[in-house]
Amino acid sequence: MNETKSLPMPILLQARNFALRYGFNIVLVAVVLFFTLTAPRFLTAANIIGLLHAAAPLMVIASGLALVVISGKLDISVGSVAFLTTSIGTLLMVRHGFDPIVTLFILLALGALLGALNGFIVVVLRVNPLITTLGTMIGLRGIGLELTKSTNIAIPEEIRRLGNAAIGPIFVDILVALAIMLIIHLIHTRTPFGRQIVAIGNDADTASRLGVRVNRVTFLTFVVSSLLATIGGIMTVIQVGAVSGNIGSGLEFTAVSVVVIGGISLFGGEGSILPGALRGVLILEIIRNGLNHLGADPYAYRFVNGAIIFIAMYADSLRSRLPVIARSFESEEQPAAKPTATG
Amino acid sequence: MAEPYLQMIGITKQFPGVRALSNVSLAAYAGEAHALIGANGAGKSTLMNILGGVIRADAGEIRIGGKPVAIHSPLDATANGIAFVHQEMAMLPTMTVAENMHIASFPTRLGWVDRNTMVERTRPILRRLGCQFSPDTQVQHLSTGDRQMVEIARALLSHPSIIIFDEPTSSLTSREKARLFDVIRGLKAEGVTIIYITHFLDEVFQICERATVLRGGEMVGSGVMQELKPEQIVHMMIGDLGVEVHQKALKANLGEPVLRVTRLNREGVLKDISFILHRGEVLGLWGLLGSGRTEVARAIIGLDPIDSGQIEIHDGKTLRVVRPSEAQRWIGMLTEDRRDEGLLLPMSVKQNMSLANLRGLASRWMLIRDDEETRQASRLVKRLNIIISNLRQPVRTLSGGNQQKVVVGRWLQVSPPIFIMDEPTRGLDVGAKAEIRNIILELAEAGNAILVISSEIDEMIALCQRYLVMNRGQIVKELPGSATRNELMAAAAGVEMADAASI
Amino acid sequence: MVTQSASDEYKAVQLLSLRRRLADDRILRLIPIILLIAVLAVLAASVPNFFTSRNIINVLVQASTLGLMAIGMTFVMISGGIDLSIPAIMALSAILGAMHLRDGGSIAVSCLIMLAVGGLLGAVNGFAVAYLKMIPFVVTLAMMTVATGTSIWITNSISVPVTNEALFDLVLDRSFLNIPRPVFITALVTILAVVIIRKHIFGRWLYAVGVNAKAARVSGVPTTRVIFGTYVISGFMAGLTAIVLAARLGSASANMGSDSIVLDIVSSCVVGGVSIYGGVGGPLGAVFGAILITVISNSMNMMQVSFFTSLIVKGIVIIAFVAFDSFRRR
Repeated sequence: MNETKSLPMPILLQARNFALRYGFNIVLVAVVLFFTLTAPRFLTAANIIGLLHAAAPLMVIASGLALVVISGKLDISVGSVAFLTTSIGTLLMVRHGFDPIVTLFILLALGALLGALNGFIVVVLRVNPLITTLGTMIGLRGIGLELTKSTNIAIPEEIRRLGNAAIGPIFVDILVALAIMLIIHLIHTRTPFGRQIVAIGNDADTASRLGVRVNRVTFLTFVVSSLLATIGGIMTVIQVGAVSGNIGSGLEFTAVSVVVIGGISLFGGEGSILPGALRGVLILEIIRNGLNHLGADPYAYRFVNGAIIFIAMYADSLRSRLPVIARSFESEEQPAAKPTATG
Repeated sequence: MAEPYLQMIGITKQFPGVRALSNVSLAAYAGEAHALIGANGAGKSTLMNILGGVIRADAGEIRIGGKPVAIHSPLDATANGIAFVHQEMAMLPTMTVAENMHIASFPTRLGWVDRNTMVERTRPILRRLGCQFSPDTQVQHLSTGDRQMVEIARALLSHPSIIIFDEPTSSLTSREKARLFDVIRGLKAEGVTIIYITHFLDEVFQICERATVLRGGEMVGSGVMQELKPEQIVHMMIGDLGVEVHQKALKANLGEPVLRVTRLNREGVLKDISFILHRGEVLGLWGLLGSGRTEVARAIIGLDPIDSGQIEIHDGKTLRVVRPSEAQRWIGMLTEDRRDEGLLLPMSVKQNMSLANLRGLASRWMLIRDDEETRQASRLVKRLNIIISNLRQPVRTLSGGNQQKVVVGRWLQVSPPIFIMDEPTRGLDVGAKAEIRNIILELAEAGNAILVISSEIDEMIALCQRYLVMNRGQIVKELPGSATRNELMAAAAGVEMADAASI
Repeated sequence: MVTQSASDEYKAVQLLSLRRRLADDRILRLIPIILLIAVLAVLAASVPNFFTSRNIINVLVQASTLGLMAIGMTFVMISGGIDLSIPAIMALSAILGAMHLRDGGSIAVSCLIMLAVGGLLGAVNGFAVAYLKMIPFVVTLAMMTVATGTSIWITNSISVPVTNEALFDLVLDRSFLNIPRPVFITALVTILAVVIIRKHIFGRWLYAVGVNAKAARVSGVPTTRVIFGTYVISGFMAGLTAIVLAARLGSASANMGSDSIVLDIVSSCVVGGVSIYGGVGGPLGAVFGAILITVISNSMNMMQVSFFTSLIVKGIVIIAFVAFDSFRRR
């Protein structure tokens, strides 16, 4: 019975496993190295702070989306949620003279409400999450464009100034974004809610069988995702100084790229906010920034972005098919039948 | 004598059209393991699901510690100290052992998962089970045996006084099995009541004090292990011998080989499967649930991957080596789950019957010739006596027997030389079963080679010229067509019975 | 005896629920037609200009391009997938074709370029989904971004005018009954698609894959190739739409493939009875759905409802139909 000892893995397979496990770290290092060598002003403190500043909204939005993806679903309405809530916020302040703090709370409530709408359609109406968020993505953007008459509306000057608020050399929104990422990271790793998201991502049926309230957790995940999309949207608008029709357009795709590049599997159950999602944001932002420094056509960026996500997704689907090497702690025997064998 | 700790009295359960349990009673004692034995469909799992609160009995009473209890939900069962170790493991691979055990009820402090408490609760249970891995190991890195231990550890978390083990050893190695038995002995010493469901009689004699045998939803025997013999239990499981009918005519000589399988291997599933299937032969692949029967069939036609092995098929002239994906060209496959892997339920009878033969029905432009499709379908509907109102009727609306005939008809349109039939009559009524069996015998008579897999011993006896007995992914024995039920049952359960034929 | 009567009762219940299910199916098939009649009735009452032959022809022409793309999407959706990249591929093909014309190329080559680019990009989608086993939604979302990005890149967001009169003549000819040719093109393609779906071996395989891929595979259906094929078809249909639309608009630009068109395509299919869960529906329904969606857009337009409000209405329509579909499945 003891003759099936596990053979040493072939070198090629080992190389592939290594590449799949550490691939994105290698890419991150390679990208930084490449731009450092080719663009002289890339690796300067000012540029790096500028880069993080630009990336801050994405960090927030991607960490919310990451939770949804870890639960094995997808939310592509984040960009439209960001746009609609900030449009409403700007209108409230500019046209109706609302106090900025009050507006902030109204927007957070509104963001949660839009998330609840997604959650309701997915959990109660049982509509496929992709179709649900495709519908809300386009519908919510429609409402936003209707309200703003698709014009640019500047936000009040005193708020615009917040966009450049800094402690020493570091912009405040970088700190806010990192703090939010840390909180989401802790929710993911340290709370029952976060762990149950992972359980659902592993297998919703199994999770349900073990007593996880799958519907409730799924619903809350969508609420968190929209809430963070709203916060990200507010950060963007403060940076830009105005709402315009293209706030958050294409954001759903960028956020999905971040998540996949960050090593969070679209098949669910795997991945992390820190360092995963953060690494994804950094890789994308560094490429955008670096290409800028090299004077590349800004339109080319979208193309490069698409290519990167294609590769990242392929790696993801490969990884999900990879057999996990079981470490048997005391027996060298192999079990004779798989656990679910039925025949 | 002490009073039994757990008593189930006069349990009756009726499902639509089927009486699953009638007046079944069971009495188990604290500190003992009680074996629940029976063939597939005998009612074991129904009985245990009633105890576990998954389904409710129509009549009967459950007493624990002498007091009647009402169990209406799994939560009630847990509250009454009942824990279930399922055969089908509920594992979350990317999460740790401790998380897998606590997923529904994490210990928390101020809303955060209290990891220390969680790990401290897990550690002694793992130690008690003799596990070497840490509570922080991800389940995906554990072997099947270790995962089974996690499943048991989860059950122990609630400090149950009654533990139900459902086929706990079907995926374990012999060493892991020995460890499991040590654990069970330890639990018994602590006064826990164990219900042990299994097919393997040797295990029952090793670990259990008492046994209850079910057949067809009725209790057919129970007693203390010391007073029972394996032959007696086998007899109880399969019932009277009087009705044995041999429809088949045993042939003296086998035809030429049409399928030769040599040393088929798949790690952890199949080991060194070799056999030859002959023209005109019905070969039975016999074994208990989980023995690897279905996996052999799936590997041959390329539905599951294999690690090594060779498949040869007679292509009309000579035996030649084929790849599993190619083997489909000569093999008609009836899968065990016809709804999940056989039928296109919303589609018509005609379309279901032509699915494998579409290339044959297509004209030059690859358009399907409607008249020919109809002709073929109605020919086979007549031949197989399928009861339908018209050929456009959706298959979903047919009875099980007619659905199965539709799948058979699908392959008859192509008329491949080899058929693999996995559970060809499962879930069918008596009349439909007989019809399908007759079709199988006719096919063999006409020179086709047929590999039959069935959980029903009567079916195997009625059909097969020869048997291969499987156990834990290996072919352990070959028996001639004249083998008796006792011999078959004993071989599959792993019991040596020198005088089996004399019963 | 108890068993006997109980099983009879069970059978009766089954039969009843079966009859109800069949009735449900019939109602479901009627819903878009009822909806269309209702919409038309409302229009007749409230929009005086709606039932002019000019407006009707206008609606049909608009519906014809949407219909072509919906036919492509139908193939993908029957197999259980989705293709979000159809409008983006359409825009990119149109741009490349128009650029060829602008640089003095011939019409034939230009049309060929549009069809080939569409088919090729569809094949990339198909390869990723069928052979690399990637998730259709995300693959085509990526393709959508890459194609749109490329369109913007190569045009600098400026539209490419189509100056060749011959292309207009070819596509916009209305010599027969004063009906523009795009309507005929779509009608012809619809008939072809219906024949493929109903009579051709590919159509049968397609339904088998969508209804039950495992059963199809056991019965020897080349499931991987079928799935690959559906994306090639949808890409090809995007290329065909590019020809018609470029001629009609007289230009090609990245805006042609805006993402609200994706919603229109999915709505057309879903309203036309094509299930996003695969295996159900056909091109005829999808084209019918395209007409209905176009009528809704057109009439909202005439009632001075803004474009953006119409997006919201369509979002609600699509979610309602999918919700209805998933309820029916339970």
